[in-house]
Amino acid sequence: MTTLSPNVFKSELKPIWCPGCGDYGVVQALYRALSAIGRPPHEVAFISGIGCSSRIPGYSTAYGFNTVHGRALPVAQGVKMANPDLLVLVAGGDGDGFSIGGGHVPHAIRRNMDLTYLVMDNQVYGLTKGQLSPTSPRGLETVTSVYGSFEQPINPLLTVLSAGAGFVAQGTPADMPGLATLVEEAIRYPGFAFINVQSPCVTYGEDDQQLRAHKTRMKSLDSVGHDPSNFMQALEKSTQYGTELYTGVFYRNPNPPKSYDVLVRERQETLKPAAVPRERMLDMFLQK
Amino acid sequence: MVTDIVIGMAGSGGDGIVSAGDSLVSAAAREGFHAVMTKSFGPQIRGGESSCRVRLSTERLHNPGGALDVAVALNWDDFLKFGAELKVDGHTIVVYDSKTGIAPDKLPLVGVMPAEVFSVPLTDLTKSSAGTEKAKTSVVLGLLSGWIGLSREVLLAGLKRKFGKKGEELLAANERAFEAGFTYAAEHPMKKPLLMQQPLTKGMGKLLTDGNDITAAAALFSGCQFFGGYPITPSTEVMQLLGREIWKYGGAMVQAEDEIAGIGMTVGASFAGKKAMTATSGPGMDLKTEVLGLASIAELPLVLLNVMRGGPSTGLPTKPEQSDLFQACFSAHGDVLRPVLAPTCVADSFDVTVEAFNLAEHYQTPVIILSDQEIAQRKETVDPIDASKYTVLERRKPTESELQKYARFAPTETGISPISNPGMQGGAYLASGIEHNELGAPSASGAVHSRMNEKRFRKFATLHQRRDLVRVEGDPEAPLALIAWGSIAGVCREALGKAKAEGLPVKLLVPTLVYPFVEDVWREFLMSVKAGLVVEQSYQGQLYRMMRMFLDVPPGISSFARSGANPFQPVEVLARLKELSFSLQGRVSETQRRDA
Amino acid sequence: MATKGIDFAKLNLRDALDLAVLIEEEARDRYEELAEQLEVHHTPAAAVFFRKMVRVEEIHRSELEKRREQLFGKSPVMVSRAAIFDIEAPEYDVVRASMTPFEALEAAMKSEVKAHDFFAAVVPRVSDPEVKKLFEELRLEEVEHQQWLKVEMQKTPAVKDVPGDQSDGPNEQ
Repeated sequence: MTTLSPNVFKSELKPIWCPGCGDYGVVQALYRALSAIGRPPHEVAFISGIGCSSRIPGYSTAYGFNTVHGRALPVAQGVKMANPDLLVLVAGGDGDGFSIGGGHVPHAIRRNMDLTYLVMDNQVYGLTKGQLSPTSPRGLETVTSVYGSFEQPINPLLTVLSAGAGFVAQGTPADMPGLATLVEEAIRYPGFAFINVQSPCVTYGEDDQQLRAHKTRMKSLDSVGHDPSNFMQALEKSTQYGTELYTGVFYRNPNPPKSYDVLVRERQETLKPAAVPRERMLDMFLQK
Repeated sequence: MVTDIVIGMAGSGGDGIVSAGDSLVSAAAREGFHAVMTKSFGPQIRGGESSCRVRLSTERLHNPGGALDVAVALNWDDFLKFGAELKVDGHTIVVYDSKTGIAPDKLPLVGVMPAEVFSVPLTDLTKSSAGTEKAKTSVVLGLLSGWIGLSREVLLAGLKRKFGKKGEELLAANERAFEAGFTYAAEHPMKKPLLMQQPLTKGMGKLLTDGNDITAAAALFSGCQFFGGYPITPSTEVMQLLGREIWKYGGAMVQAEDEIAGIGMTVGASFAGKKAMTATSGPGMDLKTEVLGLASIAELPLVLLNVMRGGPSTGLPTKPEQSDLFQACFSAHGDVLRPVLAPTCVADSFDVTVEAFNLAEHYQTPVIILSDQEIAQRKETVDPIDASKYTVLERRKPTESELQKYARFAPTETGISPISNPGMQGGAYLASGIEHNELGAPSASGAVHSRMNEKRFRKFATLHQRRDLVRVEGDPEAPLALIAWGSIAGVCREALGKAKAEGLPVKLLVPTLVYPFVEDVWREFLMSVKAGLVVEQSYQGQLYRMMRMFLDVPPGISSFARSGANPFQPVEVLARLKELSFSLQGRVSETQRRDA
Repeated sequence: MATKGIDFAKLNLRDALDLAVLIEEEARDRYEELAEQLEVHHTPAAAVFFRKMVRVEEIHRSELEKRREQLFGKSPVMVSRAAIFDIEAPEYDVVRASMTPFEALEAAMKSEVKAHDFFAAVVPRVSDPEVKKLFEELRLEEVEHQQWLKVEMQKTPAVKDVPGDQSDGPNEQ
């Protein structure tokens, strides 16, 4: 496949994210990954929910669908089932994916469609001005947790691993080329792929969570000798979410099962010969 | 000879009452009779009380009928639990198992003296003929075959289809049981025989199906290639049938993790360019509302079937009600218009479903079909449908030149814009729930919002002119009116016939498109009558209230409404009409007196 | 990360030139992205300066590219943008809505220092004398750029934006 310039994927719409937001680096990484994959923009469907990060499909020249809060995954699965030929990307924030839409995550994973799901995790609600998010650290003081939160954060990595995701990675726009490679790998994985992108909120995020801090804190999984085919090791590494900023692939199923969309195709092919002409559809009810 | 019979049977689930009902309607369909069967159950999943009503007729049927002509009670406790659903009156012939130990003159029917009572030793007959108590309903089939003259051969052939696969012995036992019943009937004739007249269409095969199944088939006929849904009574059969068939037509059915995901996937499939559908009932409708709004603003075609049941909340999951009309029309934040269609019977469900897909694709909008538990789950004979007379519409794809400078929400004259789908070169756009301009770019501008709202309403201009989606039946000159929708329209159709037979001129308005109102037709109808009833199965009388919201309703039009699970009888509608007619005459004569 | 997969000890002049071109290209593109962000967020003065930097970096890039073409023609480029990150390009998080021109200059200065330090760090690892010469030359150019920026900074009021002092707080969407 021929590579396309990353600019082919950049739309005329100008991002409204705050200057300094991590999502700017994410969208660049995405252009790069799509350019490396080489599918033309019209063969890509990019589905998102609601939140700052869910604006992202509008900034690409692919077909985009900015849906409602928390429902990106169901819509994306509908798209993929309806047309398995499409390259389907899903994006949203930590609130979209692990709070209001949290119920869809394990099911999307167990269905195992060939989708790439990017969660831009910033541990805070930006669009509504700085409230607590499902990944906010315990004790965080926000406008809705004035005296500090009582809640333990969700661990996105552990959550998706335990639900059986075949590809789980984490990246940060502080290493944009690294993130681009991860997105590319996720797209190439033939099944449900998840990337937790630590994408800081410049306006409401904590100072020690900004890109600058990421640059010093991030540690590649390669550098610590992690074996991404080892599920137990992946679980163990993922428990350090919130303390260590690992980047890279936590887990890649070495023997990926057939994805749902492939099975859909196969079933359609198998049953096609049993189709009756449309005008004889009602014969199934005929009493003779 | 009779032309119309209503049979009601009740027993415990283990008796196979519903299965016997199936055998009856299937035989009737093969014989060329028109037939309707409804069933009703207690709350137990298995082994509770169960009942069915079977109505057979030589004429087209519009509803499951009123009081029973023949009541079969295998067990009185079970029978009585169904109350008004199995109404016994002075013309009913009661058949029951003498093993219940109740004397024929001491039946537990308060204030009713049936026309004739047969205390049949059902259990003993079954044991002596079949050698087991299990074949009781085969005895009942034999009895009914003997008494009403439904073909013995056809019923026996039915038993063969049913039990043949389960073993010779079981089949033989049931055949003996049937014969025992048949012989018993011959030896014990009814005082006033109930033999059915042979149908005109004798031997012509009919379709036998229910509202849910025919809706699913209609969806396939319309080219539906995606269904996403979640099991919910009483709509689940739609997803079950599609889950079996849709793959053959290049489609997919998925059981989603919840109602929201079900409609979310459906919207996704529609975005991807496929005709898509979801189905649910009240509680699921509540959950689907947000995504429904998304489909409206993103202008994506989608068919949503709501098989209504009693509400609010869990309500009465297995009983029909028409109380979701407000929800179907108005449950949305923001200014939204979406077509709401309602079938009035099983056959109608086919037409309505095909229409729903056409409207959805043509207007690029979600369309709601409001069916109800009765239509959805009642088995009914349907005359073969000539599929060639139906038009199937496709969404308006962009032309090559439109793709040169594509605007997904282009402000065309009709308000209907060309719609691309992923995979189409040059057609990429951003679909969104956020307000957007003609190109699809998000916008919070008041000017853009007004413009796009106007466009989204303007595109329905031709829908408001669809006179064919409102049916006016009966005597065009009649001063008396009935207005009804959904399954209750069937009751009113029969009441209309009864009124005509009694020389009372009545006309009936039945909207297939319940919302938006095809105002011209409604206005003409309302202006032409002096008095009338809006008959509805909802406590509030939701259609009546909506009429008062959108139309000038003359004072003579009143609401005749009651909660679900309390069936309307054609005779009571007729009685109300007579009262109205009487008071109208009173008013007329009073005017004449004054004039004189 | 600064570079990935580049073995400086084995770097030849052609690849070194291509690398230098990409470093300028990255800086140019980043200034453009940041200028765009600031334009959308009503921070025009800083955006104007970043636009100027886009032009400056483009001049550097095209000069280097010309040199490469004179020496090596159109032979294929063996290094890619994936091999570099944030060398001369300012980091994504240096921008803020309402940042002042002075702060924009500071950000550019940091990037020039960063680029200078990069070349200073790799020169000892390079073995090809011509590459060494090129990188040394580029390092000195960065010093020149710093001088220029220093002058610009002296001409610009040293005002910094303190969030909340004057401006409204962020809006909800």
